[in-house]
Amino acid sequence: MASLPAKVPLSEINIELPWRLPLPGILWFDSKLRVWFSAQDRPAPLAIVISGTGSDGNTKTISVLRAALYGAGYHVLTMPSPTFPGFIVSASRTGVAGDLMQDGSDLYGAMQEIIAHLPRKVRVTDIDVLGYSLGGANAAIVKSIDATEHKLKIHRVVMINPPVSLFSSVGRLDRLFAATIGPGDRAVELLYRRLYAQLANLYRASDRLELDENFLYSAAAVTLKTDAEFSAAIAMTFRLQLVDMFFIGDLYAKTGVITDPAHPPKVGDSLEDIQRDLRAKPFADYFTRVFAPYYLMRRPDATSASLIAANRLDIITDTLRDDGDYYAQTSGNDLIINQRELAWLQDTLGSRIIVYDHGGHLGEVGDRQQVADMLDMLSGHWPRSAP
Amino acid sequence: MRAAVLLGIVALALGGCASHVASIRKVPDQTPAADNAAAAANAAAFAEAAAAESGNDSAHEAHEARETHDASPLLTPADAPPMYTYDPWERLNRFTYRFNARFDEAIFLPVADTYRRAPRPMRAGVHNFFGNLTEVDSIINYTLQWRLKYGLRSLERLAINSTIGIGGLFDVATKLKLPGTPTGFATTLAKWGMHPGPYLVIPLLGPSTLRDGVGYLADYGVGYGINIANLYRGNVSWGLLVANGTDQRANIDFRYYSGGSPFEYETIRFLYVRRRLIEDEGLHTKEPVKKSEDEIPAGK
Repeated sequence: MASLPAKVPLSEINIELPWRLPLPGILWFDSKLRVWFSAQDRPAPLAIVISGTGSDGNTKTISVLRAALYGAGYHVLTMPSPTFPGFIVSASRTGVAGDLMQDGSDLYGAMQEIIAHLPRKVRVTDIDVLGYSLGGANAAIVKSIDATEHKLKIHRVVMINPPVSLFSSVGRLDRLFAATIGPGDRAVELLYRRLYAQLANLYRASDRLELDENFLYSAAAVTLKTDAEFSAAIAMTFRLQLVDMFFIGDLYAKTGVITDPAHPPKVGDSLEDIQRDLRAKPFADYFTRVFAPYYLMRRPDATSASLIAANRLDIITDTLRDDGDYYAQTSGNDLIINQRELAWLQDTLGSRIIVYDHGGHLGEVGDRQQVADMLDMLSGHWPRSAP
Repeated sequence: MRAAVLLGIVALALGGCASHVASIRKVPDQTPAADNAAAAANAAAFAEAAAAESGNDSAHEAHEARETHDASPLLTPADAPPMYTYDPWERLNRFTYRFNARFDEAIFLPVADTYRRAPRPMRAGVHNFFGNLTEVDSIINYTLQWRLKYGLRSLERLAINSTIGIGGLFDVATKLKLPGTPTGFATTLAKWGMHPGPYLVIPLLGPSTLRDGVGYLADYGVGYGINIANLYRGNVSWGLLVANGTDQRANIDFRYYSGGSPFEYETIRFLYVRRRLIEDEGLHTKEPVKKSEDEIPAGK
């Protein structure tokens, strides 16, 4: 673990974006976009960090990256993923998340608004963007948009464990869900029962008087012992995030999969049955029943196949190959990319990618080596010349 | 007195306002280096339980070591309550939940934020003072639960902190390896075998169950009945109530709708009730609290 600063100041910025779509009553709490900012007290470069799929801008992974970046002298702005429900409602121009270019343009617009509203005493000398997991792909797209619009003059980008083909990555997570948990909500219930019994037994054995957060973290470490259990946890987490995205997308696109467009749920209505139904639905359902119908209607020339192709990082292959300011960190056993995709990343980025031989998906984030490499990439000292 | 308290709340709430387009809210500094050290310590402390759970047999042995007279059977997945939660007052509860979220955003949180700017020793003093007052309730309830070891500890804490700790402002007892472990009537009722009952969202306090709500009321009743130093019924009682609430809020790291999820009500309800049920299991180590029946939602 890299050495960490003792203290990182933190502020929450809640911002209302002018292009927000009309707010459905039941989503009243998501009217503003919430991001987090840590300011240096002198002029400094700004590092913007984009979160992974479905997550807000203040996750554990974000905290680790924030500490490293702040400690290295950056102002740090951390943002939710464009697939985070709070982002979809407050900052999306469509309400239907998951399209790489659309999400990138929403993110890019939000960044401009936020930077315009930073406290006046904050002096930004340069802007770099980072992202982990899906956020890595978002970061690269944002820079590519900026390359034509020049509104932020983003300097460097570091992608941490990025996906290459979004839909084949989530397809892998769907299969992981089916393999480790099983099909349908009945399987979710069985998983829950198993976890409940394990937790209760651990708790009874533990002598603790209260079931607090510390207990849960430690219990998770004990419970997720095997690869299969760990995979089930990843698949379940992803599925729960998908439930939110699916529900909101269906509501905005009026596709009627889960809510009746003529009679959307109202404040005070129970959503438990909806949540239960959605838990059983894989990403493939979101794609075929919400995402594709929505975008096919708005893009007359598009087909399902072209929508999938548009959600690959290789839509900016030339930029990634030719612009020396794109960097990546990944690992040889990251479950969201396959060997062919890894080879493509290495071929495209050349010396600007480092592949760790272990760590899986995000496992190496916060390690001394990963942090040192990331900071060297951001400051342009990469690849390191031989001593 | 009440007017002064209200004025104070409004002033504190207005302390953090900004333009309506963008507002900036200072939140507590992060302390990554210290957090890392704490996480490592926590992981180490848990190693024992980890070893116990590494196999059913060894978990069983751990139990037997603790409860030599009567080994307790382990819970199986079939003992888990169903995922549905008993919530017959859902409409009212949802209304209260939304009220709580809005109250928190508009008043509670800004007040707590402003309060957090006060010097740390002062806040610690306030926190210790209120913590010390709850020891009275803990002593009564540990006795009612027949957990006299903990009751005695609460009694020692009360004696030490009220005297050497200058009326409870300093938590000397924790430094003497007598950590505070407050309990209340909610836990006593659970220990006596009462089921949680319907889910209940209490105005300002938040998620609860009927049983826990009755417990909280009884806790307050004890304070009111004993009325130490006329703190609960005298002129200062309103101010103390607000100060206590502010102190509590400033120490709870929860933000309504921070996950942005449309299903937060469902998720919080699910987690709260499961947490309480597992804590109940801890109180009844001899046998599972109740065999589940699929038709009956959790808590009923």
